Amino acid sequence: MARSLPSESLETLLNDVEVRLSTGERIIARLQTDLDASLHFHQGLIVLTDRRLLHVEAAKDDHRRFHEWALASIDELVLEEMGATIAIHLMQTGVPSYAWRGTSGCTREADVFLGRFKEQQRCLLPVPSPDEAKPTAEDEEDVFDQDEPVATRPTGSPLIRLFQFSRPWYALMALGFVLTLASTGATMIGPWITMGLVDDVLIPLQSATERVHVKYVYRFAVQLAGAALLTWALNWAKTFVIARVAERVTSRMRRETFEHLQRLSLTYFNKKRTGDLISRIGSDTDHISLFISVNFIEFVCDVLQFIFLACVLYSINPLLSLAALGPVPIIGFLVGRVRSHLRGGFAAASRAWSQMNSVLSDTIPGVRVVKAFAQEDREVERFRLADQHIFDTNNRVNKTWSFFTPLIELLTEGGLLLVWAVGAWSVAHDRITVGVLVGFVSFIARFYGRVESMSKFFASAQRAAASAHRVFEVLDVKTDVPVSVNAQKVGRLRGEIEFRDIKFRYGSRQIIKGISLKIAPGEMIGLVGPSGAGKTTLVNLACRFFDVSEGSLLVDGIDLKQIDVVDYRRNLGLVLQEPYLFYGTIMENIAYGKPHATRAEIIAAAKAARAHDFIMRLADAYDSMVGERGQQLSGGERQRISIARALLIDPAILILDEATSSVDTETEREIQAALDHLVKGRTTIAIAHRLGTLRKANRLVVVEDGQIAEMGSHDELLKRSGTYARLHQAMMEVTHA
Amino acid sequence: MSTPAPTNFAFSSDEQGRLVFIAADGVRHEKVRPVRLFPLTEPQHWIAIQDEEGRELAIIEDLHALDEAQQVALQKALAKRDFVPVIHSIDGITRAADGHDWHVTTDRGPTVFRVENDENIQSLGGTRMVIIDHGNTRYLIPNVTTLDVKSRQRLERYY
Repeated sequence: MARSLPSESLETLLNDVEVRLSTGERIIARLQTDLDASLHFHQGLIVLTDRRLLHVEAAKDDHRRFHEWALASIDELVLEEMGATIAIHLMQTGVPSYAWRGTSGCTREADVFLGRFKEQQRCLLPVPSPDEAKPTAEDEEDVFDQDEPVATRPTGSPLIRLFQFSRPWYALMALGFVLTLASTGATMIGPWITMGLVDDVLIPLQSATERVHVKYVYRFAVQLAGAALLTWALNWAKTFVIARVAERVTSRMRRETFEHLQRLSLTYFNKKRTGDLISRIGSDTDHISLFISVNFIEFVCDVLQFIFLACVLYSINPLLSLAALGPVPIIGFLVGRVRSHLRGGFAAASRAWSQMNSVLSDTIPGVRVVKAFAQEDREVERFRLADQHIFDTNNRVNKTWSFFTPLIELLTEGGLLLVWAVGAWSVAHDRITVGVLVGFVSFIARFYGRVESMSKFFASAQRAAASAHRVFEVLDVKTDVPVSVNAQKVGRLRGEIEFRDIKFRYGSRQIIKGISLKIAPGEMIGLVGPSGAGKTTLVNLACRFFDVSEGSLLVDGIDLKQIDVVDYRRNLGLVLQEPYLFYGTIMENIAYGKPHATRAEIIAAAKAARAHDFIMRLADAYDSMVGERGQQLSGGERQRISIARALLIDPAILILDEATSSVDTETEREIQAALDHLVKGRTTIAIAHRLGTLRKANRLVVVEDGQIAEMGSHDELLKRSGTYARLHQAMMEVTHA
Repeated sequence: MSTPAPTNFAFSSDEQGRLVFIAADGVRHEKVRPVRLFPLTEPQHWIAIQDEEGRELAIIEDLHALDEAQQVALQKALAKRDFVPVIHSIDGITRAADGHDWHVTTDRGPTVFRVENDENIQSLGGTRMVIIDHGNTRYLIPNVTTLDVKSRQRLERYY
C-alpha cells in the first residue's frame, strides 16, 4: 500500500467497526482508503462482513463518520481508475450511490477486496455452495499480506552480515588472526632490543667510561636482523592468508549475487538499471574485498598493537605513558564526530558510481543512435554530469577527511612534545636513563602511528558497510514468481493452453482485463491488435515471466503455478523480435537450450531453420564467433539462428513474438519458410503485425485494450468488417502505396 | 538430415589434381571443394562438399568411414585449402605500435604475426584457443594446458 495507515489509527478504526458488529457477524475483508471525496488525504476503512458493508472514516474531531449498507441492497462495487487515484463506486438500484477514493497504491488491495465482495455476494444467492460460504480466517489475512511484492528481509548491520557471510572461511580467518597476532608481536622486538643497545653499548661507548665488548655489538646486530627477518616472514604469511580470505568472500558474494539475479523475474530487471546492477556486483564487491584484505586486518593489528604498546609503555614508565595517552581521548571524540559525516558520504559515492555505470551501459550499446542523431556532445555532457557527481560526492568526503587526518597528526605531535618535556624533566631528575627515554620515544612513534591508522579505519568501515548494504539489498530481493513448494514435475507436455478469465495488472495499470481462450494441442493462434493492447503481456504470462493477477492459466489442464518452472520452460520455444545471440560460436548459440546436442542435431536444426547455407559461407562456419564482440550478422541471419535454437529443443509450445517484423520482405520469406518447419505439430502463439505471417494460423485472435475483440479465421474476420478488417485494410494500403 | 552412406558417392581427381565428386545419382561434379563445418573444434569430421557456386552437394560426417583412396583424395583437397597453423610454442609477445607481435613456433614452422586487440584472442570451449591476426589468419592452440611452461607464462601475461 502506497500510504499505509499508522497502525494505531487503523486499530481505532477497526475497533470502531468491531463494536458495531452484531453478534455472530464476521469480518471477511477490509480495505483501507486514503483519500476522501475531495481528494484530501484522509484515512478510511471499508469492512466487508457476511451481512453488511461498513465504512468508517477518521475525523479530525472525535466524531467519526460511519456508513453501512446491507449486502443485499448493493448491486455491485465498481472499480474505476482515474489516473493517479481510484474510485470504488457503490451501485444501488442501477445508480452509483456512494464512492470511495484512494491513491493508485490501493489498487491491488481494492481489486482483491472487490473479488471478496463478489464471492460474498454469490454466497447470498439462493443456492449458496457450502464451501464458498465459509472463507477462512486465512483468506482475510491475504488481503493484507499482499502489500509489498518485493519485500526485503529484515537486515542487520551490513558488516555483521558480511562476517556471517564469511562463515565457510572462519578457519582460514582464525589462521590469519593468529598470524596477525604473531607478526604484531614480532614488530615489537626491534624497539625492545634498541633499548638494550643504547644503554649497554652506545651510551657506554660515548661516555668512554668502560670498554664495551665487541661481541655485544654483534649480538645486538644479529638479534635485530633476526627480528626483521621474522617480521618479514610472518607478515608475508599473514598478508597471503588474509588476501585469500578476502578474495574467497567477495568471489562468493559476486557469484551468489549473480546466481540470485538469474533467479529473479523479468519484473525486477524491467525496474532496475543495468549499470546499477553491474556496479553492485563489480565495484561494490571490490570495496568489500579491499576492506577485508587491507583495512579490517590492519585495524585488528592496530588494536592489538595499541593495547600491547600501551602495556609496554606503562611497564617502562607509568608517568611518561600517562603523558603519551593525553591526546587519545580527544582523538576518540573526533572519530565519533567524523564517522557520522562519512557514513552518508560513502553511500552517496556508491550511488554516484552506479549512475555513471548506467550512463555507460546506456550509451555504449546505443552508440548507433547517438551517432545517427549526432548527439555525441550531449552524451559527453551526460557523462560529464555523472562524473561530476562522483567528483562532488568524493570531494565532500575528502573535505572532511583532509581536515581530519592532519588534525590527528597535530594531536599526536602534541603528545610527543609532552613526552619529550616530561622525559627531559625525568632525565634531569635522574628518574630514568637516556636509553629508556629513547626507547620510549621509539615506542611512542609506533603507538601514535597505530592511533592514526585506527582513526582512518572508520572511514573504510563506513565505505565497506555502504557497499555491503548495496550487495545484500540485491540478495534480499525475493523473486516475485514464487516457486510452488510442491511444484509438479512434468515431462513433455501435449501443449494445451487455457487462459481462464485471466487479468493482469502491472503497477497500477490493468493490462489484461479478462481474457478466456482455449488453445488445442498443435493449434496455431495468431494474436493481432494495436500496439499496447496486451499481446506481449499475454505471451509473457504464457511463458510465466509474470504470474496472472486473477484467473488462471492452465497447461494440459494443470494450473501453471503448480508446474515446476524449469520443467515447463523445457517445453517452451521462444523466438523474439530482436534475436539475442550470446558471445560464443554459432554452434554454441544454436545449442543454447540443449548444450549436449550432437553436432548432427545442430546441423539438422540449422538446415531446417534455413541457416545452414549462410553459416557455411562464414570463414569458420559453425565455429564462427558471434554476439557482442563477434562476427556481424544481419537481422535475418540472427533470427534464423534463434529459430534453429528453438527448433533444437523441439518444444511442445512455441511463442513467436514479432519474429519477422524487423527484417525485409525477402528475408521474411526465408524466415517464414523456417518458421513453417518450426510450427508443425506444436502449439503456437504468434504475434505479428504483418498479417501475412499468420496465414498458417488456425485461428486469429484480435486483442484490443486487454480484451478479446474478435476471433476466427482470416476470412471470417474479414467478413465481419471489424477491427481485423480495418487492420487488414490499413496494411494493404501500406503495401500497395 | 542424414549423412549419405559412403558407398553412395565417390571422389576422384581430374588431371589437374582437382577434386571430382560423383553423386549418388551418378552425376559428375567437377571442381568441387570440401568445406569443414567445424574447422576449429572438429576438423576431422563433418565436411561439406560444395560445387563451384557454393551449393552443397553432400555432407560427410566421418572422413575415416570412406575407403582409403577416396580419403586420400579428399584429404589432399582439404590440405590445399587448409591453413590453420597450430601453435606449438610461444617464443615471445612484444608490444607493437598497434597491438602485439606474437613470435611463435607452429606446425608450419616459426613465424611472427600481429594481433590488433584482445577480441582477436578467443577461447573456444575450455582449453582450446584461437588467435586471429590482422590478416585474418587463424592460429590454433588446441590445448592451452599442454603448452610448455614458458609459453603458458607468456600467454598468461597477455591474456
